Amino acid sequence: MVNGKQELAITRPIGSSSGGARDVRRHPMRPPGLPWVLPALVVTMGVIYYGIGYTGNVSLFNWNGLSDNPPNIGIKNYQGILADPVFWQALEHTIVFFVVVVVVQTALGFIFAVLLHSPIRFAVLYKIIIFVPVVLAPAVMAPVFRQIWAVDGPINRLLGDVGLGALEQPWIAQSSTSLAVIISIQVWEFTGLTFVLYYAAMGQIDSTVLEAARIDGAGNIRIILSIIWPDVRGTTVALAMLTAIGSLKTFDIPYLVTAGGPNYSTEFLGTYIFRISIPQAHVGYGAALSVLLLILALTMAIMLQARGREKEGPAV
Amino acid sequence: MHARFGARSGRRLVAGLAATALAGVGLVGCSPSGSRSSSTNEGSATSGNLVWWGWSPQIGPAQEFITAFNKKYPNIKITYKLVTLDGWDAALRPALASSSGPDLYGISPGPKVANYGDQAVDMTSAIKASLGSDWKSKVTPLDYVPQMYTSSGKLVGAGVGTSDGGSLWINKTLFDKYKLTPPKTLKEWTSDCAVFKRNGVTCYVQGAAQAAFDRDHLQAISNSIKPGVWTAASKGKAKWTDPTIVHALTVWKSLFSNGIMQPGAIGAMQFPDAQNQFFKGNTATILMGSWEVQYSSKRGMAAAQAAAGVATPKPFVMIPIPYPSVTGTSAPDYSMYGDVDYAVAVNSKSKHIAAAKTFAAWLGTTQAGQQAIANSLGSFPSLLSVKPDWSAVGLVDPSVQQAPIQALIDAAGKITEPRLGILSQDMTNAVGVAATTVGAGQATPAQAAKTLQDTFDAGK
Repeated sequence: MVNGKQELAITRPIGSSSGGARDVRRHPMRPPGLPWVLPALVVTMGVIYYGIGYTGNVSLFNWNGLSDNPPNIGIKNYQGILADPVFWQALEHTIVFFVVVVVVQTALGFIFAVLLHSPIRFAVLYKIIIFVPVVLAPAVMAPVFRQIWAVDGPINRLLGDVGLGALEQPWIAQSSTSLAVIISIQVWEFTGLTFVLYYAAMGQIDSTVLEAARIDGAGNIRIILSIIWPDVRGTTVALAMLTAIGSLKTFDIPYLVTAGGPNYSTEFLGTYIFRISIPQAHVGYGAALSVLLLILALTMAIMLQARGREKEGPAV
Repeated sequence: MHARFGARSGRRLVAGLAATALAGVGLVGCSPSGSRSSSTNEGSATSGNLVWWGWSPQIGPAQEFITAFNKKYPNIKITYKLVTLDGWDAALRPALASSSGPDLYGISPGPKVANYGDQAVDMTSAIKASLGSDWKSKVTPLDYVPQMYTSSGKLVGAGVGTSDGGSLWINKTLFDKYKLTPPKTLKEWTSDCAVFKRNGVTCYVQGAAQAAFDRDHLQAISNSIKPGVWTAASKGKAKWTDPTIVHALTVWKSLFSNGIMQPGAIGAMQFPDAQNQFFKGNTATILMGSWEVQYSSKRGMAAAQAAAGVATPKPFVMIPIPYPSVTGTSAPDYSMYGDVDYAVAVNSKSKHIAAAKTFAAWLGTTQAGQQAIANSLGSFPSLLSVKPDWSAVGLVDPSVQQAPIQALIDAAGKITEPRLGILSQDMTNAVGVAATTVGAGQATPAQAAKTLQDTFDAGK
C-alpha cells in the first residue's frame, strides 16, 4: 500500500524542488535530511577535513612529532621541498609510473576484455586467473616478488636456462631496473581490475550496433577501434583518473619490495613522506609533502575529469 | 549537463577546498603538540601491571628476564611486546603522544634518545639508589654513560648492556671444510673468497640497503686505515672529506669488484635477508657486531636457523674475528666501536612509574638482572662485575668458540669510539646513500664524501 506521502515522493519531478526548507514547510510529516547526513558529515568534517587542516598546520612547524612548542618556521618546509632533489625524483618516478601503468594496464585489460567477450573455451577460468592478483595483498606478494627478482631468483635462472645468461641482472639492486620491477608488479596486480571494468563496460554496448557494423562489412579490428573503444571512453577516463591518484599515493609495493631504493630509484611521494616523517622524524616537512601530494592529486583528478568531459562532446 | 558539471562541480570543489583551507587557517599558529602532563603520584614500587615495548630483547630472553625479576618482585606483572626495529618509530611516537602508551620502552643512544628522551622519567635517583653515588665507575665502558643523557641533562635509563660493531663473523665449519684460515688482511679475504666461489659457497653477505650496516662496515674499514678519523668526523672534529674516509669509500667500492660482496647486495636488507642467508649455512662471512654472540649457542643458532627457513637446523660453529686489515701491513686487532645497546626507559605518563623504575633499575643495575643479560648473550652486560656463565650458555663447540668470544668481550670493554650514539638519523641515511651510490658506481668516493660533509653541515 502506498500512502500519500510516498506517492508524492515518487511523483515529484526530480529537480523540481528548490530547497529542503520549503519541502519541510509544505510537508511537515517528511523527516528533515540533516539528521540523516549528520553522522557522515561529522565523520567527514571531523576526520578528513580536520585532518587535512591539521596537516596543513603541522607543515608550518619544525617538529619531530613529539616535542612541545616546536618553532613555527612559516613556509620554509615548502621552500625546502622545492629545492629537494629527492622530491623531484619521486615526482618523476610517479609520472613515469603513471604513464607506463596506464598504457600497459589499459592495453592488457582492454585486450583481455575483448577476447573474453568472444566465444572461447574456459572463459570463466581465464577470468579468475586474470582477477586473482587483485585480491592478493601486496604485503603477501612482496616477499614473493623479492624472491622472484633476486639475483639467484627464478627470473635470472630462467634467463640462464634459455641461453640468455648475459641478460641476468640484480634487478631490484640497481637503479636502472628497480623502477621497472615495481611497475611490473603493479601491472601484474591491478590489470585484473582494469579487465573487469572494461568487461562490464563492453557488456553495455548495444549489440545491434555491432551487428549493423558487421552487415556494413566492418572487420574485428575496425569494430574494436571505431565502436568498442569509443564506447568505453568513460571507463578509460575513470581508470586513468584512478591510476593517476593511485600513482600519487603509491606506497606499499615500493616500500615492501625495495624500500624506495636503491639510491631513491623507486622513491615515490608516499614512501618519501614515510621516510621523512617516521624514521627521520621531520614530521613538519613530511606534513608539507603531504599537503603538496593532496594538491597534486586534486589537480590531477580535475584535469582528467575535465579532459574526459571535453572528449565526450559539447555541453548540453 | 556538462556545462553544469563545470560550473556547479567547480563551485562545490572550490567550496570544499575553502572549507579545508579554513580548517587549516583556523589552526595556523597553533602549536601541534600539547603540553605533557606527567603523573605526580608514582604509585607502588613493588606492585602493578606494566607493559614493556622493545625491539630487543627477543621474546624468549625477555620472558627469562621477567621470570628472574618476578622471583624478587612477584607483584609486578610485566607484559612484553616485541616491536620490529623497522616499525619502532611508527609505533612508539603516537603511543608516547597518547596517554595509553607503554609504561616501559626501549631506548638507545643517538636519534632515539633525541626523539624519545623527553618522554622518559629521569632515572638518576633510581640508579644511585641501586649502585650508589659512584655508580658511573661500576658500569662499562665509562664513555657510554653520557650517551643516555638528553640534551637537557636528563638520564633516561641505565644501559642494560653494550652493543659493539667492527667484528667479522665467520662460519668456521665452512673454513675448516675448505682448509682455509680466517683472513687477517683484505688480500687474504679476497683469496679465501675465490676458493669459496669455486666451491659454490657465498663468501660474504651484506644487506647494503640498510644504512646502519653500511655505516658499520665503513667505520670498520676507516678504523683499519686510521683509527679515530670516522669518530672525529662524526663529532665535527674532522672533515668527512678527510683522505681516510675517501680511502675507506674506495676500499668499500673494491669489495663490489673483488669478489667479496655478494651480487645484489645493494638491494638486500641486513635483517632479514643477509642474516637469514648466513644462517642457512652456505655463506662464509658476515659483518655483524656483539649482538651476534647470542646465535653462537645451540639454542640461539637453532632459533636463527629456524627463522631463516632451514627445515632441519644443523648448527655450525661461528666465531668472531677482527675486521681484516685493509692496508695489509699487520695482523689486525679489534678496533671496535659501540654504544649502550639499549636502556629501559620509564614513560612519564605511566600510572605505575615507581614499579616501572623498579624493573628498569633491576635489569640495568643489579647483579641478578645483569647476569640474566649476560647469559642471554644478546648484549654484553653493563656492570663490570658480571660475566657470562659459560656453563649455562651452551655454545655449539665451546672448545673452538669460547676463546674468540671472550676476546671479543674483552675488546668491547676497552672501546672508546661510539657506534650510533653521535650520528643523527639524517647522517646515517646519508652514509647509506653514499655507500650504495659508490657501490653502484653512481658516485666517486670523493663525491660521496662531499655529500656526507654537506649533510653534516646542513644538520648543524
